[in-house]
Amino acid sequence: MDWLIELLPLSYTNAVVLIGSVTIGITAGVLGSFAVLRERSLVGDAIAHATLPGVVIAFIASGAKDASTLAVGAALAGVAAALLIVGIERTGRLRPDAAIGVVLSAFFSLGIVLLTYVANFNNANQAGLDQYLFGQAAGLLEGDLVAMAALCLASLAIVAALLRPLRATLFDAEFAGSIGLPVRALELITMAALVVAVIVGVRTVGAILMVAMLIVPAVTARQFCDRLPTMLVAAGATGAVVGGSGALISESAALPTGPVVVLVGSGAAVCALLFAPRRGVAWNARRLIRDRRRAVTEGVLVDVETALHAGPPPTSTELMLASGRPRRALRRALRDLDRAGILERDGDRILLSEAGAAAAHAVLERRDLWHAWLEYGWKLELPDAREPDPSDLRGGLGDAAVERLRALAASEPTQ
Amino acid sequence: MSAAGPSSALEVRRLTVSYGSRPALWDVDASFPRGALSAIVGPNGAGKSTLLKAAVGLLPVDAGQALIEGQPASAALDRVSYVPQRDAVDWDFPITVREVVEMGRYRSAGWVRRLRPPDREIVGECLERVGMAPFAGRQIGRLSGGQRQRVFIARALAQRAPVMLLDEPFAGVDARSESALLDLLRELCEQGGSIVVVHHDIGIVRARFDWALLLNVRAVSCGPVAESLAVAKLRQAYAGIAEGMGEEAAAWIG
Repeated sequence: MDWLIELLPLSYTNAVVLIGSVTIGITAGVLGSFAVLRERSLVGDAIAHATLPGVVIAFIASGAKDASTLAVGAALAGVAAALLIVGIERTGRLRPDAAIGVVLSAFFSLGIVLLTYVANFNNANQAGLDQYLFGQAAGLLEGDLVAMAALCLASLAIVAALLRPLRATLFDAEFAGSIGLPVRALELITMAALVVAVIVGVRTVGAILMVAMLIVPAVTARQFCDRLPTMLVAAGATGAVVGGSGALISESAALPTGPVVVLVGSGAAVCALLFAPRRGVAWNARRLIRDRRRAVTEGVLVDVETALHAGPPPTSTELMLASGRPRRALRRALRDLDRAGILERDGDRILLSEAGAAAAHAVLERRDLWHAWLEYGWKLELPDAREPDPSDLRGGLGDAAVERLRALAASEPTQ
Repeated sequence: MSAAGPSSALEVRRLTVSYGSRPALWDVDASFPRGALSAIVGPNGAGKSTLLKAAVGLLPVDAGQALIEGQPASAALDRVSYVPQRDAVDWDFPITVREVVEMGRYRSAGWVRRLRPPDREIVGECLERVGMAPFAGRQIGRLSGGQRQRVFIARALAQRAPVMLLDEPFAGVDARSESALLDLLRELCEQGGSIVVVHHDIGIVRARFDWALLLNVRAVSCGPVAESLAVAKLRQAYAGIAEGMGEEAAAWIG
């Protein structure tokens, strides 16, 4: 680790904190992804809270505040909590969320009680145990970094080796069982991975907020990735950036590490949930508004075309009366059409430009094609499982199929 | 010995399975011939899906046994492919169409090894066969119901197993896909495959299947569709539903 610490243009303490936080971010990001995909994020929360009594008991038993001894205590308590949750769930008496809630609160209150007990009777040596509640990056030592990095690498190697079976089990447990995969063992492995991630991070981030380190990178990464391998890499990278930047901010601003890291991470997750292409809430809302607006505009274009066919060029009031569209929607649609160079004006009468006539023709043709598909589509032989998209039938079905569809419609005209 | 002999594709002997104290299957005897397109038909809660799950060893059995080509499920995993109900799956999972179909090769290729070129070739063929090759790179949630079912069937095809069990494969599937998939299943039978489908549409089973088990917790009848799905048998299986509806119900069921 020495070379890495010296390589960074930071003070020794800051370098240690940065490396530690990045390690935590990678571990929690990758291992937490499995829990998030399995809809078990809160098991991570329960495990994190359950480490508290483990840490205190390990302290009482050993009488020393040695980080690795305390980590062993935390790990044992975490495993106990995880097994308890699985056990309660399998009896079928409690729903998973209730099982998690019961285990989380029971372990955590035991931890608080023990912490108070130790503080009352043993106050010379116990100072600092409460950092496991809210997290404290400054206490990290070089030796801790080596242990954390080793746990991180070992768990990542196991996950990489088991990626296929884990993916099959998470996606479709019934199928995984039917090809002979040990589904329950694989589920326990994902639980064990959660325990490892919590152990690596809990001292720095704190028991209360550790769950955010498990969820935030996975949620952020899922917004941008459609494959598990890329999602895991992205989650690890997100965790690293969030952990590293959060730790540095907290150090320089003298703020508690855990909350700052989690705030940075939550910010990233919210941005991803809002703005990620295709999956972001804002992205989808924008597309929806655009599509609706286009539908209205196309409707108005067809109205104009119809009116021109029937008689003299219409005024916008005539258009409104004929179509029953609200005035505002009509005005906006006409403005959009004007901007696209589709309309021409003759006083307050509305005409179509050359481009406008072509556009109206294209819309009508698309509508005809859609009608033809609904009526004769079932007769059409398609070369594969393609399905039409109502807004772009030709793109969905391909030119050859569209030509055949046209021929079908032409040979059997509707009355 | 029995595996190579005239044993059935799937046979259940005195099979009883229960969830808690409620029996889902009670003392069921049935067999499905090799090389045939067979269906399991029955009202909701009749135990149709339970029978398939027990056959592939996903459920503990209270009594009796299920045999695939004469062997119990634990010894027959290489001989059977299973297509679970689609609602058992998380469709938002980050996985592509091709990756789903690749799962069909996991067992024979080794759990942790990368797939080798011959395996990938099989995956490609199976995608081609169900018409999903152009969608290989797409995330599985961005498909229609019919396309998703095609992917599941491609995954089962990729297992290259002689017996295929499908649980409600046509629920929520468009008519075009259903017809294409039925043609495909028929083709598999003609090539010697044995297929058992849980199905809810008696009309389609009568028209397009060879063999049927009519199930309502107990086995009501099992045999060629013309016999096993005779009106009297259907009345028996659907007693609670058809009662009091007289001739009309018979016409509807039949």
